[in-house]
Amino acid sequence: MKRVKALMMLMFLVTFLSGCWDIKDIDKRVLPLVIGISKVNNEDYKVTVQIPITKKDGEISRIVTSIDENVSSALGQIKTNSENAVDYSHVRLVIIQSDLSDNKEELKQLVTFLMTSREFPTNAQLAFTDVPIEELLSNINDKLGVDSTSLYDFFNKGAGWAPEILSTRIWEVYRSMFSYTEDITIPIVDPGKDTVINYKGAVALKLGELTQRIDPNETQLIKLFQNKNAKGKIENVGFASVMVTSSAIENKTLIESNKPVVSINVKLKIHVLEREAGISNERIKKDLEKLIEERFNKMFEKAQENKTDIFGFGQYFRNQIPYDDLKKWREGYYPDLKVDFQVHTSME
Amino acid sequence: MENLVKEIQNMFSDHADFFMEKEIKDSTPIYLMGFNTLIDLTKSKLYVRQIAGTSASVQELFINLSDQLEIDSEQIIHALLKGKLVIVSEKDERNAIVDPISRNLTRSIAEPLSESPLLSSVDAFGEDIDTNIGLIRKRLNTERLYHGSFEIGEFESRKLSMLYIKGKAPDALIGEIKRQINQIDTDIDTVEDLNKYFGERRFSIVSHVFQTELPNEATHFLKKNRVVLFLDNYPFALVFPQTLMDMFNVSSDRNYPTVIAYVIRTLRAIGAIVNVLLPALYVSVVSVNPEALKIDLALFVSESRQGIPFPALVETITMVVLVDLTLEAIVRLPKSVGPTITMVGGIILGQAMVEAKLVSPLLVIVITAIVISGSVVSGIQNSLYIRLLRYPILILASIFGLLGMFIGFLFILVYLASLKSNGIPYTTFHINRKGDAK
Repeated sequence: MKRVKALMMLMFLVTFLSGCWDIKDIDKRVLPLVIGISKVNNEDYKVTVQIPITKKDGEISRIVTSIDENVSSALGQIKTNSENAVDYSHVRLVIIQSDLSDNKEELKQLVTFLMTSREFPTNAQLAFTDVPIEELLSNINDKLGVDSTSLYDFFNKGAGWAPEILSTRIWEVYRSMFSYTEDITIPIVDPGKDTVINYKGAVALKLGELTQRIDPNETQLIKLFQNKNAKGKIENVGFASVMVTSSAIENKTLIESNKPVVSINVKLKIHVLEREAGISNERIKKDLEKLIEERFNKMFEKAQENKTDIFGFGQYFRNQIPYDDLKKWREGYYPDLKVDFQVHTSME
Repeated sequence: MENLVKEIQNMFSDHADFFMEKEIKDSTPIYLMGFNTLIDLTKSKLYVRQIAGTSASVQELFINLSDQLEIDSEQIIHALLKGKLVIVSEKDERNAIVDPISRNLTRSIAEPLSESPLLSSVDAFGEDIDTNIGLIRKRLNTERLYHGSFEIGEFESRKLSMLYIKGKAPDALIGEIKRQINQIDTDIDTVEDLNKYFGERRFSIVSHVFQTELPNEATHFLKKNRVVLFLDNYPFALVFPQTLMDMFNVSSDRNYPTVIAYVIRTLRAIGAIVNVLLPALYVSVVSVNPEALKIDLALFVSESRQGIPFPALVETITMVVLVDLTLEAIVRLPKSVGPTITMVGGIILGQAMVEAKLVSPLLVIVITAIVISGSVVSGIQNSLYIRLLRYPILILASIFGLLGMFIGFLFILVYLASLKSNGIPYTTFHINRKGDAK
């Protein structure tokens, strides 16, 4: 009987003491969606936070800025000054302004902070911008009929809608800072004139250092190498425009006299959207193949010059190069890498 | 024998419905005794007189009327209380217990009240134990159907019948149940009284027996190697042992095509899980782990909770308790008042509370879902215990969020898996046939 009483007492206490004092309900939290980080006067960090505000008729958002010596204290300041509890667990996008991203050490430090702070989800996306961040964020409120989640929606259009848009997550960037064999590309965005965001391509990041810019057209190829489908991409071949309906990629790798060789077969299924009169299918196919091959070669040449392995070719050789030599991949092997890139297209 | 008549008269002197009628046969006075609340006196007298007319002597009359002659007084009293007619002759000290024409005190076979089967026969068990067993015999006309009858109780003797199919129900189980029934030394008023004798399960929320009102179901259970018990004056068959699957499987499902039957059963299982987890999921997602929501959903939930003064746990517990109160009230109320409560309750719970901004519209959806899903399982006692299970999970969820919810669910599964009835686990899928076919 004593035990029963104790048990009942315990249940009573648990029921009435739990859940009410140290847990904040969702309506008592503000959920920042986008965080922008930039530098002021080359010294202090400026953190800009976009917070969606829920209202019956549509969502609008609020932009909160704070400046402090480092990012965490600036975020802390926002927490202190906010009227509700700030919950960073819904942050989906971190935008870094280029004056900060150009500095290798600071960028590394920042990514490490984002990765280890535990307050942020590490699968938030990372993007760079050249314009002041407030301008980008306030652009959401200026555009009519755009809701507060649009900045995040931009990167998640779903399969087949805009296959050239890269999405890079914080943990992927963090991983690439330690990887011997793979470098990462990070998308660049601008405020658009009529839309919220303009896609400006990407930058390659080699161990935290920016090495080259990549055109929006070229980012598609990187996604292809990440085994993401290129479905929906529209290519213009001059006298015709075609849409890629499906894509597949095949690699063969070998090391010939200590030099890595990759042969790549890209298979595209295309669908002709429009063409000038009298242009045969064969010609379209040939021209498209040539266009993509040239595009790749140009891009690869540049990447090789910069010793930035944006396609992650090093990954293919991890089992063929001794482990101790892997760290020499960028300097020793990559400049000698031979890539035989071939595109095969077929009509639907 | 004057003594016997006197003795009986004295014993029942304060029973107003006790009668003692004097009749003369062959100039021998005989007494007819009984309770006129149990015996149709006029018809019984007519019956005795008719037999008397064809009998030559008093002795022959007694033999014609009954095979129970010359009984001692104790048994006569027992027989009287059971509604028999006792005849005692004044002179030659003879007595007999006669099966009279009884008053009809049982309702006829009617439709089930606690279940509403579709595509199934719609007769239901009644109060009379013999009728109930008759309903089973009619469906299961095999010589392998065993029917054992017990009289149990301390003050009253209540009939308990045990049915199984020889060679189907496991021998060990039968022996164990018989032993347990023979141990009964108190009155069995309720199923829970009986449950006690089937093993230690004092604070268990799951009964050893599954109750069904439908003869079809009971027959099906017999064929599935179970034992079926009947209590006199209790219009349900008690199927021993109860298993978890009884909640989801109803034999009349098989009157649908197999695929549909399985879909229905899956739906019942989903219903049970939803009923247990949904309020906890709401609380944990709204107050502890909002990061589990997608952002659009998070903003929607956040908006729907704007201006609500209670924390999510209080809000949810209030609503869940209110709904359980409504359900309980509907059971208690007479049929004429029930709909009023339903309507008023519906308006208060659904509309007024939302408009007054006491609870969020999302919670009302959650509550509606659990009310509906709680009723899909078979057996009213099962739906009650499922309703009970969601409270501990709800409290765990309010403290530990999604983790607490799943830990709670895991513990419930562990608890259910630990239950046994006479060695047969509650979570078993089917009861093995270990009986020897005779």
